[in-house]
Amino acid sequence: MEPIIQMKNITKRFPGVVALNNINFDVRPGEVHVLLGENGAGKSTLMKILSGAYTPDEGTIVIGDQEYQKLTPRLSTEYGISIIYQELSAVNWLDIRENIFMGRLPSKKAGGISVVDYAQINARTAELLERVNLGSRKPTTSVGDLSISEKQMVEIAKAIAFDAKIIVMDEPTSSLTEDEVKKLFVIIRQLKSEGRGVVFISHKLSEIAEIGDRITIMKDGSQMGTFQVAELTTDDMIRMMVGREIKGTYQHTPEEHYQFGDVLFECRNLTRKDNRAKDVTFQLRRGEILGFSGLVGAGRSETMCAIYGAAPKASGDILMEGKRLRIRNPYEALRHGIGMLTENRRETGFFSNFSNQRNIAIAYQLKHSLLDGIWGLTNEAGEKKIAERQRADIQIKCASLQQLTSQLSGGNQQKVILGKWMAAGVKLLIFDEPTKGIDVGTKSEIYKLMRGLADQGVGVIVVSSEMPELLGLCDRIIVMAEGRITAEYDVTSATEEKLAKAATGEIA
Amino acid sequence: MIVEENQMKEIEKKKFTFGDYWDKYSTVTILAAMIFVFGALQPASFLTGGNLVKIMEQSSITILLGLGEFFAILLGGIDLSVSSIMALSGALTAQLMVNAGMQPVVAVLLGVVVFGLAMGIANGVLVTATGLPPFIITLGTQAILRSLVYIVTDARAVSGLPASFSRIAGGKLFGMVPVPIIDALVTAVILAIFTRKTQCGRNLYALGGNPQSAWYAGITVKKHTIIAFAISGLCASLAGMVNIARLAAAEPNAGTGYETYAIEAVIIGGASFFGGVGEIPKVVVGGLIIGVINNGLNMVGVSSYYQQLAMGCLLIIAVTLDRFFGASRKS
Repeated sequence: MEPIIQMKNITKRFPGVVALNNINFDVRPGEVHVLLGENGAGKSTLMKILSGAYTPDEGTIVIGDQEYQKLTPRLSTEYGISIIYQELSAVNWLDIRENIFMGRLPSKKAGGISVVDYAQINARTAELLERVNLGSRKPTTSVGDLSISEKQMVEIAKAIAFDAKIIVMDEPTSSLTEDEVKKLFVIIRQLKSEGRGVVFISHKLSEIAEIGDRITIMKDGSQMGTFQVAELTTDDMIRMMVGREIKGTYQHTPEEHYQFGDVLFECRNLTRKDNRAKDVTFQLRRGEILGFSGLVGAGRSETMCAIYGAAPKASGDILMEGKRLRIRNPYEALRHGIGMLTENRRETGFFSNFSNQRNIAIAYQLKHSLLDGIWGLTNEAGEKKIAERQRADIQIKCASLQQLTSQLSGGNQQKVILGKWMAAGVKLLIFDEPTKGIDVGTKSEIYKLMRGLADQGVGVIVVSSEMPELLGLCDRIIVMAEGRITAEYDVTSATEEKLAKAATGEIA
Repeated sequence: MIVEENQMKEIEKKKFTFGDYWDKYSTVTILAAMIFVFGALQPASFLTGGNLVKIMEQSSITILLGLGEFFAILLGGIDLSVSSIMALSGALTAQLMVNAGMQPVVAVLLGVVVFGLAMGIANGVLVTATGLPPFIITLGTQAILRSLVYIVTDARAVSGLPASFSRIAGGKLFGMVPVPIIDALVTAVILAIFTRKTQCGRNLYALGGNPQSAWYAGITVKKHTIIAFAISGLCASLAGMVNIARLAAAEPNAGTGYETYAIEAVIIGGASFFGGVGEIPKVVVGGLIIGVINNGLNMVGVSSYYQQLAMGCLLIIAVTLDRFFGASRKS
């Protein structure tokens, strides 16, 4: 069958990375085309090219008999391409009909003046809601009162109202219950029968087998192939999604057999107030590096934030060296010797108005101040000594300690933050995506520093979405999915396939 | 890595540019330029010791308000209620002395120190508890407190302050230096030490620079926000005390609109409106600049109608220069 749209040999480069490398992707009428890949594989970039948000560096986009070098958001909408993002874009304070007809409100003439034709809108909205099985809702219901699943249906109704030929759904099931997923699939089948093409992005392999017709698997910006879904097993999918050359730079060597000491840190039945981490229990032994694997939003960073006191806990205990700790905010975590390197360095890791010296010294100073970090004097000379030592120990490359940290490279900024926690003398250090956006050379330096910390008896926890990183660095890996721990592996028995499988919620 | 080393050398080699100069000395340069211009136009009356002391005395209220305002702006916020705190503290202190018959020392302790801190803490608690922008909260408290001034004074001036109070608070040290100048300078010195030498001061810069990083670094964000507003409230009530001492009465309309002077002093003093950047001594200079403009234009014979015009132009020019040559241009 003639495809509705064809993306041919699409290549997109960003500074330092090839986000898409020669991708061929098409959508035919009446099919569900699944797009599968890890975080960062290039799925979103491809869809942004389809929506006209990005311009490809190479390749063409063919729609009918027209050939384009790029699409604009306007062209994309005109050709009937509609994208439903994971973070739904429905406007909560408008009602359903306004959301559906936003920017295209039908009008009528009243006394020669154009006014909104509410009668027509109401009728058409009611009809659309019927089609997406949302007939129980009135067109005038505020979207803010709808559930996530209902909001999704409103967005689908909107796509139908615009007569979309292609509807892209970015992880539409990630926050739906099983029942809601079933309802969604009914609608998707209906869209198919009307001859529309659906692009379905998901990590959930069982859903893919159920709803998908064809599948394109991506990995690190490359296309691993496009197949009939029926031809592949879930194991095939996982293998193609993660199967990559594992670089040996920071790999465990066989002669490195670490002896672990007593239990240093323990987390018992931790549940967050917002339920984004549920009943999490684990132990960390002295000298051990413990990894957390899983998809974004699986509850890994969320668990760490709760341990660190940055997000409220509903229940659960945190024990250091057998003693129960009360941690209600990061200051109390710091006082108890827990530090965290956050995922977003720029936003949550350092102070852009501070010099390297001040950024390094702040945790030490806070820890040694009284009254919740309020009472204490700063000591320029002592501060300088602390910073000098970290600069030498972890080889921070900076023009001077007085230089602003914001002027350093990402890797050196990360070293400054690491230096901050090392200077404060922490007992447990949590690394959330420690090498995100950091060049290969600095990466391996940071891995060495982490191993060095563990050898000194500091507890090290690593949250990472890069499986090779976890497999090369950690002694033990815990996998989380949907806020819970789904599997735990010793590094000697862990493989990327096992981790990926556990991350989708299917326990191996 | 080679690239990085080269970059580092470049940073080390970089010459001292106009931007660097402007970064450090913008405020002092503007003040010097003002004094030079007015001095050249009216050397006989403007450049006398007596007039310069007068300028400082006139500026003392702006400086005190600016010193407090600095902490609200340092956190990326603002405190619009300083003018009302100033008026209410003055009115309250006057009432305590005149109608309640309290000793001036006790009245000042209650009406200035305790009351100012309490109002500032109230602002801080409201800001942290509601999560609303300080602009909105302090716009509200500004109106509320101004209304309370009218209620407390029955919209009439409170006069007949004890002679001992006027003599000391409105007098001159060694018969030369007006006490309001001493009040402003001592406050400035204490706050300069506070910002440079204490952990709390350092934390406030961190919090203003990046509130999220501050939270993750272990800074108790709410407590520090309350402290910043408490300092602002205390400084405003000190300004209220100076004001009633200078006028020997508490006026219900005292300080109306002065929050703009306070903000101007801080901004001309080079503080970033986005928070995290600024220095106490420069706020003092910023306050003096406003005093010099008002006094100088008077001396030169320019109608007072033009004073606001001059202030407005100066504010925009100073911040524009900062935008194009100052530190903010780098990030």
